[in-house]
Amino acid sequence: MSERRASRGDGEGRGGRRRDPGARRSVRVIDRLAGRIIAVGGLFVILAVLGIMVFLVAVALPLFAGESLTGSASFRVAPPKSPLLSVEADDYNSVAVLVSADGTLTPAHASTGRPLKPLKLDFGGTRATAFARTLEGGNAAFGFADGTVRFGKIRFRSKVLPAGRAPAGLARIDERDLSDGRSVFSRIPGDQMRRVWVEADLGAPQQAAPPGTPILRLDYKVGGTPERPSISFATVDAGGVARLSLTQTRVNLLTGLSTSSVESVVLPDLPRRTRILGVLLTEKADAVYIGSERGTLFRYDARNFGAVSLVEKRDLLPPGERLTAFHFLIGEEAVVAGGSRGSLNVFFRVRRPGAAAPDGLAMARAHELEGHAAAVSGFSASARSRMFVTMDEGGAVWLRHSTSEATLLRLRAKGMAGGRRFIRLSPRDDAILLADQGGAVNFWRFSAEHPETTFQTLFGKVWYEGYPEPEYTWQSSSGDDAFEEKISLIPLIFGTIKGTVYSLIFAIPIAVLGAIFTSEFIGPEIRSVVKPAMEMMASLPSVVLGFVAALILAPVVETWIAAVLLAFALIPLLLLLSAYLWQLMPPRVALPLSGFPKIGLLFLVIVLGGALGRLLAPGFESLFFGGDFKAWANGNVGLATPMLFLIFLPVSFLAAAFCAERLLGFAWRRKLRRMPHARAAALELLRWTGTLAAAALLGWAAALALAALGLDARGGVIDTYVQRNALVVGFAMGFAVIPIIYTIAEDALDSVPGHLRAASLACGATPWQTALWVVLPTAASGIFAAVMIGMGRAVGETMIVVMAAGNTPVLDWNVFSGLRALSANIAVELPEAVKDGTLYRVLFLAALVLFSMTFVVNTIAEVVRLRFRKRASQL
Amino acid sequence: MRTKEPKSGEGAGTPPPAPRAESGAPPPSSEGERSAEAREGSSRGGLRSGMDFKARGEPFIWIMGGALALGVLMIAGFLALVLWNGIVTFYPGPVRVVTLKSGGRIAGEPFRSERFRPSEAQLKALDAASRRAVAEADGFAGRTLYRIGNFDLYNEDFRWAADHEVAGVEEPPDVFFVERAEWGPFIGFVKELRLGARRVEGGRLSLDELYAAHDRALARRRAVRAIEVDEIGAVNYYIEKERLALRRAALEHGAGSAAHRAGKERFERRTRAMRGGFAALKKKIASINGEDARFTITLREIGGREKTLRLSEVVRLYPANRLSVGGRLGVYFSRWTEFLTDDPREANTEGGVLPAIFGTVMMTLLMVVFVAPFGVVTALYLREYARQGTLVSIVRICVNNLAGVPAIVYGVFGLGFFAYTVGARIDQLFYPERLPSPTFGTGGLLWASLTLALLTVPVVIVATEEALAAVPRSMREGSLACGASKWQTIRNIVLPQAMPGVMTGLILAMARGAGEVAPLMLVGVVKLAPELPFDGFFPFLHLERSFMHLGFHIYDVGFQSRNSEAGKPMVFVTTLLLIAIIALMNAFAIMVRNRLRRKFVEGQF
Repeated sequence: MSERRASRGDGEGRGGRRRDPGARRSVRVIDRLAGRIIAVGGLFVILAVLGIMVFLVAVALPLFAGESLTGSASFRVAPPKSPLLSVEADDYNSVAVLVSADGTLTPAHASTGRPLKPLKLDFGGTRATAFARTLEGGNAAFGFADGTVRFGKIRFRSKVLPAGRAPAGLARIDERDLSDGRSVFSRIPGDQMRRVWVEADLGAPQQAAPPGTPILRLDYKVGGTPERPSISFATVDAGGVARLSLTQTRVNLLTGLSTSSVESVVLPDLPRRTRILGVLLTEKADAVYIGSERGTLFRYDARNFGAVSLVEKRDLLPPGERLTAFHFLIGEEAVVAGGSRGSLNVFFRVRRPGAAAPDGLAMARAHELEGHAAAVSGFSASARSRMFVTMDEGGAVWLRHSTSEATLLRLRAKGMAGGRRFIRLSPRDDAILLADQGGAVNFWRFSAEHPETTFQTLFGKVWYEGYPEPEYTWQSSSGDDAFEEKISLIPLIFGTIKGTVYSLIFAIPIAVLGAIFTSEFIGPEIRSVVKPAMEMMASLPSVVLGFVAALILAPVVETWIAAVLLAFALIPLLLLLSAYLWQLMPPRVALPLSGFPKIGLLFLVIVLGGALGRLLAPGFESLFFGGDFKAWANGNVGLATPMLFLIFLPVSFLAAAFCAERLLGFAWRRKLRRMPHARAAALELLRWTGTLAAAALLGWAAALALAALGLDARGGVIDTYVQRNALVVGFAMGFAVIPIIYTIAEDALDSVPGHLRAASLACGATPWQTALWVVLPTAASGIFAAVMIGMGRAVGETMIVVMAAGNTPVLDWNVFSGLRALSANIAVELPEAVKDGTLYRVLFLAALVLFSMTFVVNTIAEVVRLRFRKRASQL
Repeated sequence: MRTKEPKSGEGAGTPPPAPRAESGAPPPSSEGERSAEAREGSSRGGLRSGMDFKARGEPFIWIMGGALALGVLMIAGFLALVLWNGIVTFYPGPVRVVTLKSGGRIAGEPFRSERFRPSEAQLKALDAASRRAVAEADGFAGRTLYRIGNFDLYNEDFRWAADHEVAGVEEPPDVFFVERAEWGPFIGFVKELRLGARRVEGGRLSLDELYAAHDRALARRRAVRAIEVDEIGAVNYYIEKERLALRRAALEHGAGSAAHRAGKERFERRTRAMRGGFAALKKKIASINGEDARFTITLREIGGREKTLRLSEVVRLYPANRLSVGGRLGVYFSRWTEFLTDDPREANTEGGVLPAIFGTVMMTLLMVVFVAPFGVVTALYLREYARQGTLVSIVRICVNNLAGVPAIVYGVFGLGFFAYTVGARIDQLFYPERLPSPTFGTGGLLWASLTLALLTVPVVIVATEEALAAVPRSMREGSLACGASKWQTIRNIVLPQAMPGVMTGLILAMARGAGEVAPLMLVGVVKLAPELPFDGFFPFLHLERSFMHLGFHIYDVGFQSRNSEAGKPMVFVTTLLLIAIIALMNAFAIMVRNRLRRKFVEGQF
């Protein structure tokens, strides 16, 4: 194109020179320059559209990007002298700590293995037999062979200091980090240093099991208030007895001394000799889960500490497979169970009607994750998301996400000797530490920006914690830390479609019929008033429409819902009735009145219909809906028949009219033609009334029959009434959509060449026949384009939906319930979304979906319209 | 005219002449067969030509007409609603004292009445007579909403009084409606006025004296406000500027460098003087406030509780039931004046909307600056330069898509691209000293107007194209024939001729932009902007600042305030204002368009 442009420019330039050799050089230069600039400017529009699209894609794309390994290291530290209990890492992945059974903490620089000074917890010479930690806060607990439990903390401390104030003589570790032998110093942006070091302390022993019975398994949670901390813990001792214990510490404000007391209950009904793999305790200490090595889960209800009871027992694994991993994810709703053949499942405690357990809950297998090749031997849950890492005996280390069921990273342990291995997902979800008894450590750094978003979680049904089954859910924020963002776009897309459909059901008839009437049946004077009035509706700000819809219209519609429904039926009936009455007038009288007076009458009929609706509403409501529509819609009162009748009325009217026309339409008309006008018109009115009566009978019969079959209009399109609902949205959106469809459709009808009309009328067709059989088919594609453009507007309309739709992400077609549209959701949530966070990107994806929807609709409309224009101009 | 016009109404459809009935309906579809039959039948029988009702399609025409009428009624009803509510809102109504059957008394301005359906529990609590009355009205009852004010005492602004609860209604002449700067209105009686050393009992109060004292109090309030905003604001501004300069020196030359130390010294020296000025201003304010505290008014609400406040805390007060029509109009216009020229109060539900008007206008004007060149250039390209072909079709499809893309998507783009990408880069390059608090890296006036410019560019393109198409070919040819180059022709002949059309497009774009809210919610509109984007400090126009907007004001007051009922009057007035602005712009555009058409209809041949 640009070549052609240039050559044309040159040609003209030469032409100019030929004609007028004296043309100034500057003129030619400016001329060419202007041409270039304008051409570039013209293409700016394409650039803008593409730019928006590309930018939206670019922001949304990282949602689907895989997780990537950004660094790895493997090294060896001094092997612990006693069995390894755990490995820990700090927030910044500066320090890794190996915890061993004799209380030794061996810290090392996490990415190089440079040793730091070890710490020692004073176990009094004994070795811990059990270990537990909380996900956050660095709390650790140790169980001992004498039946005691000791609580402590293994905490990573960090402090940011100006670079100038760092101590002198630090030893260099790598390009970022330095060390003074106890802590790691890292350079961070802003000319500062961050110092990270480990601290540990240990509390007094508490007797949890009978003296002398070693504690084998332990889980605990810290709760209470700072003044009255309470620790609850569950233990399993060597005798196979499981206990739930509660420690309460009271700090005496006067003396500053703290006293603590332990209460324990034995968990009942645990079969003797059950070999227990693990015990899990919820934070509120209201439930205890015990997993046996044979794969049985025992669930205890501990809401009443005095009466803990076994409420559920189920097998977690297929028969024959042993349980090898048994852990909570954050939020403690999900239990992860790994088996000796590598299977890995996530179970949720869900409310199930008819559950066997007395509390109405049941453990359900919610996610079945890709299995390992060998027994699952290690596990570590994230402290901030539903990510976790698993390890098998064969040395495969997989990073996974519970909700999306995706395996995010597949790693392989290197240089490991035998013995037990421990794995840890770092607190910020960006590194994995693996250590074994021999002191070999693997360290992987990775970036997992959006592990929870896959195509499935965004557009498919997902089983979230706390839900009884997989669902399409949108719920992006909550006050709770353990909250998981539920990001299915389906409810939003559905909301957009629902709003669009209901508004178009309302808008299309009014706009298209109004346009046909304007273009074909009224004179230019009225048209010149009516059309600008309708166009003016287009320039009403949608925020105003939304405000009026939500704060004025919604309460009125709620109070007068019966009147509104009645008016929907009454207005068309009254219009038809007045048409038949109008026909009674002899043509001589009717003709002069067919201008303004007829239009005035039309307005009057509409107003009358509304007024009549309001007048008759109470009677209508008590007759049809047991006196209260909202109660009826809830299914509390009334019968199904009346509404079915109302729904069937139009259908049966069409059917009756069609039958009458088919059977005796022609004969009837021939008969009428022979009569004087007045009589014919009266008979015609009679025929219509008869048809209507027949239709009513037919409709009632159909409604009765269907109601007898158990069909009810309630529960689908008609259901519980909410004040801000799709009906109100449809009506308010009508204000935005009607003028657009009306204007474009009217233009299309208007551009049908006049000679077609003239020919049709000259052949003797009436204006109605001309409109129906000549004008309408010609302009059909233009009207279609108008409807499509109106639809585009409805899809993207924001403020009306934000204000009037209630913004509940529901998935039903109920016209009396609200909706949450893509556009409204973006407007409400994007201002609060953190830049480049998952929600931010998902909202960009929502914008992209919206953009694509309107792009398709608009492009179709535009192509159709261009073709229509071509055709119209050829006719 | 009707009979002459081929497509007008019934003209052609009525008393059908003989040959017309003969020809029957036009051929298409199955209708054709039967009408052919009809033709045969009629000719065979040699019938008198009667009315064929089906061909006339009267019922269908009525349905179509009804659709149109409904559409027009909707718009008319809507405008009437907004207009009526907007206009009457500021007119002061009477204050009624309602005695309830339960013995309680409510004093308030009747706000609106409606019919409602009492709940089961409410019905049970009623006496037999009222219950019967409700039952007779099909379960409905009437009630009136009173604006009772005194939010600090009652914790509610409004109170419903059902008709069957009311024992008596009176309008006491000495009840006052007091608009306060805080806590909304107070409705009650004046118990005492304290003017310096003098005390005036409520009963012996002369209105003139009250108003005079009130005016003086307001003058003091304005004086304090002027010092606070202008003078202290200036001091703060300069101190902040020095601080930023110091930080910049630290960033550029490193902390502790010579330049930084010199800067620090300069900072200390300059701010010391300013801090001194600051203290003096504080002292001045304290002295005015001390004087002000001697002028107080003690009010008593209907229940007898009293409230003493400074006269300067009263925005407006009037004896609601003693006002003449003139007095009411006075209050009415004083409220309008406040609305148009003042800052908002009380979480935007009271006071004025000047910052919002200002923000809307600024943003729209700025938008025009951006949208005009691009719209005109694109239209020139499409009309004057491009050869009709695939590329132009693509451009047209893009223009229409640009027009059809939801506004909110522009907002998303504006936030992500302009604010977070371009703006963040600008901050890094030019305002490093202000980081991490963003300057251009967040929503603001500039980004809002750029976003809206993108949104409204199709409007300008379409209007300009129309105008360019309306310029007669002969004029172009004449110019070219005289030896002008293409650009010279466009610049000197075509564009001036098309200018009214371009203006129309720009005005329509402004109207569209002024009414758009959704994208602005993302790119820079705030519910309460601390500073106007335009002030006395260099560079005067602060493009990076967030701003207020009338449309967003409607959304905010209507939906985000503590009581949407209390905000409703404000919303209606703001709505009226916004619609008036947009309607004016549209009307102006249509006027220009019509003039343009006329001009060229003459010039075309």
